[in-house]
Amino acid sequence: MKLLLPRLCLIILSTVMCVTAIGCNVVRITLNTPLTQNDVAFIVPGHTTLADVITKLGTPDSITESNVGVVATYRFLDMKYSRINFGWLLKPFSPIDSDLIISRTGFGTDAFELLCDSNWVVTHQSFLRRLSGPRFNPYPF
Amino acid sequence: MLFLKPLTGIVIILALMMTQGCAFSRGTIGEDIKSESVAEIKKATTTKAEVLALLGAPDRLLQVNGRDVFQYYRYDAKVGSLLLILINFSRVSVKSDDLFVILNREGIVEDVILSKRTEGLAFRFWPFGE
Repeated sequence: MKLLLPRLCLIILSTVMCVTAIGCNVVRITLNTPLTQNDVAFIVPGHTTLADVITKLGTPDSITESNVGVVATYRFLDMKYSRINFGWLLKPFSPIDSDLIISRTGFGTDAFELLCDSNWVVTHQSFLRRLSGPRFNPYPF
Repeated sequence: MLFLKPLTGIVIILALMMTQGCAFSRGTIGEDIKSESVAEIKKATTTKAEVLALLGAPDRLLQVNGRDVFQYYRYDAKVGSLLLILINFSRVSVKSDDLFVILNREGIVEDVILSKRTEGLAFRFWPFGE
């Protein structure tokens, strides 16, 4: 499933890029609702159970077992892509299709992980990277 | 305030003239998880075989805390594109429905966890903001 999601996003992004291959493009892809520190502030390690978390945040994207307990993971992605084709400005005056394209893609991927003991009580919680979201900026240099 | 009405009209006409078109696309992975089927699963009663008969084989089979966990998932992606002459805006939103059925060592359902995040998924064009 980890491979399936990036593949799905790439297929969608390629389709969007092909459909909108003129002028300027601004594209954004979001996977699930990005979580913030405020969203998870209610979790108290040692007291909150996985069921409490699921009631507020929904089911995790994956549940796996580790040597020290069960790990529940919420994944989310916020991708921003912007593109400018300066060649498009010459189209009315030029007999050929000229392109001068600059573009940039920023992936804001993150995950929120919970470690639970055998009674499903949360013992640790953490964001994977806590990346700040990317900005729309087509300048690639 | 009266001059605002003609101005609004001009803005709308200009926006329409600049609009080449719109595009709506949708992609899904997996089958819809039917709430009625999930409602038939009763904790401490339903067996593994009955879960399989109701929902089919799971997308993932996990071993957690000495228990079997059946995971069923479905992804839904909605793409909205507003194609203007100078600039195009697109927004892709992907969300998932996940169902976890936790079975005890005897093969009886211990817990059922379902969340349907795709129900509120809408087509969006505007890529800025939240």
